[in-house]
Amino acid sequence: MNLITTKYHPDLRIFNTTSSLIYGIGNIGRQDDGLGWAFIDWLTKEKLFSKAETMKHYQLHLEDADLISHKKRVLFIDATKEPDVETFEFVKIDPKLDFTFTSHDISIASILATCKLCFDYIPEVYLLKIKGYEWELKEGLTDKAIENLNISKDIFKNIQKTI
Amino acid sequence: MGKKIIIDPVTRVEGHGKVTVHLDDNNKVIDAKLHVVEFRGFEKFVQGHPYWEAPMLLQRICGICFVSHHLCGAKVLDDMIGVGYSTGKHITVSAEKLRRLGHYAQQLQSHVTAYFYLIVPEMLFGMNAPPEQRNVLGLLEANPEMVKRVVALRKWGQEVIKAVLGKKMHGISSVPGGVNQNLSVEARDRLLNGEEGLISMDEVIDYAQDGLKLFYDFHKKNREEVDSFAEFEALNLSLVDEKGNVDYYHGKMRIVDNDKNIVEEFDYHEYLDFFSEGTEEWSYMKFPFLKRLGREKGSVRVGPLGRLNVTKAYTTPLAQEALERFHHYTKGKSNNKTLHTNWARAIEILHSAELIKELLNDVDLQKDSLILMPPKTDWTGEGIGVVEAPRGTLLHHYKANKEGNITFANLVVATTQNNTVMNRTVRSVADKYLNGNDIITEGMMNAIEVGIRAYDPCLSCATHAVGQMPLVVTIFDANGNKIDEQIKN
Repeated sequence: MNLITTKYHPDLRIFNTTSSLIYGIGNIGRQDDGLGWAFIDWLTKEKLFSKAETMKHYQLHLEDADLISHKKRVLFIDATKEPDVETFEFVKIDPKLDFTFTSHDISIASILATCKLCFDYIPEVYLLKIKGYEWELKEGLTDKAIENLNISKDIFKNIQKTI
Repeated sequence: MGKKIIIDPVTRVEGHGKVTVHLDDNNKVIDAKLHVVEFRGFEKFVQGHPYWEAPMLLQRICGICFVSHHLCGAKVLDDMIGVGYSTGKHITVSAEKLRRLGHYAQQLQSHVTAYFYLIVPEMLFGMNAPPEQRNVLGLLEANPEMVKRVVALRKWGQEVIKAVLGKKMHGISSVPGGVNQNLSVEARDRLLNGEEGLISMDEVIDYAQDGLKLFYDFHKKNREEVDSFAEFEALNLSLVDEKGNVDYYHGKMRIVDNDKNIVEEFDYHEYLDFFSEGTEEWSYMKFPFLKRLGREKGSVRVGPLGRLNVTKAYTTPLAQEALERFHHYTKGKSNNKTLHTNWARAIEILHSAELIKELLNDVDLQKDSLILMPPKTDWTGEGIGVVEAPRGTLLHHYKANKEGNITFANLVVATTQNNTVMNRTVRSVADKYLNGNDIITEGMMNAIEVGIRAYDPCLSCATHAVGQMPLVVTIFDANGNKIDEQIKN
């Protein structure tokens, strides 16, 4: 059974350009919170989407607005606990000052809005959310999270064949 | 029936905490507490790991003050292998200066976050402004140019951290006995001169001065409100050098009273002889205090306000000028005005920037003598490290067995040191803003948050939690009967 719940599925080939950034968010010391990093590690190891710049970080900071202001397209990858997401989900992000800011938690939409207000520029931004289950202080993804990671990898692998 | 007001979560504070205010039948405050309900277990988690992993693991407590944890742990490891301060030996001059550079950059970064992101919006828009305006995103809409500068400052700080520690976050450069890389001339020049998309060192200092001016302007317009907000006496703690001035990386622990008389001064390796920790059933965060003075009189204030009350002078000109103005304001006595913590923080941003500039111009940072490797016979198996982290005095203490595996770890973080004064702040603010009122406004509720935020507490650090903990909210009436309880996972 196909469990993929893709609300939005961009043509992933657009991310294999030098003006693209693929950005994994998470903490590998917190079990499934490491999904974003695991995805980036896999892309790097397999040399997929090699034209794009890749990076990993624990959380977003306001200065990421400066970072994305130099890119045409950005794909963020993060773990999610959202009940509506069964395995993974793509969403396109629009700029929005959503007032949820703490220094440990700023949304991608707010980063994008900051980019617009500070640099008068809006890159095309997407988020790949991969479903995770456990966030305990422990290294290693859960088996179910690995399954979801592998399903999301397949999409990219198949696209890569067409590049 | 008495009422209990719960502010939960305390927004814009790292970690999870809640405030409860107990009112009697006449809306008079009878008690107010800051509860910390997140529990972390890093001290347990690190046991069994090789000793050299501890600074890498423990810095993951926090995504904000990770360099402080990393360096504090590195100082412990120096002790353990026999080249730390407890042994009378010292790591090389270059290694210490490189660690200091990373440390000052971290302070700049962390203070910029706290000051510009969390506090300046409150100063500009006022405590009664709508919550959606009273944050950095409100600032962004009102003054994008200022936010652009803040972004530039933080980006520059991150570049210093990356150049020194090897990574923007959770770096690995400090190793037992020193550091594993120096600073190249190219990296130094880039930070000093800037480049396309990166501001220069002098611009950093200019922006820091502008930040301080924001406080002066705010203070001028709101002097009475700022000065009277949660003002109470407390002891002040800071690491100091031989002249009695703050040293963020190393020194003796000095505690001064309201007249700036020295109450205690000691080598931090003896902290257990001087400090004890109390506990309360309503908070996971402990309450440290000086044993000689007891729980009530022996608690201390740490962080920017505590440090500026302890230190007599700075070595850098612009920060020294600002410090003199700060000291003059309270006529040589300790400054007990909680919101002046933000003034102190703005001064420390400038001080950090000037210290970084001094170090970037120091040729020792390019030298290759970086690590001391003592013989195995020098192994002590135990170490204590203390640094002045952005939020205040931070202590790590580890012991390891003969195989080199950690058997004991104790962390006393700045937010824990400030636990008692934060609770006093909550009580003071509650008394002033809530007493006698039967309508609780957003501004009044926010006043309590403002008081807590002045300490920029990191509750995640302070409670060392492992995993997720439920939030339990319990309501008691004036007679102490539980009338409701909610559990939120």
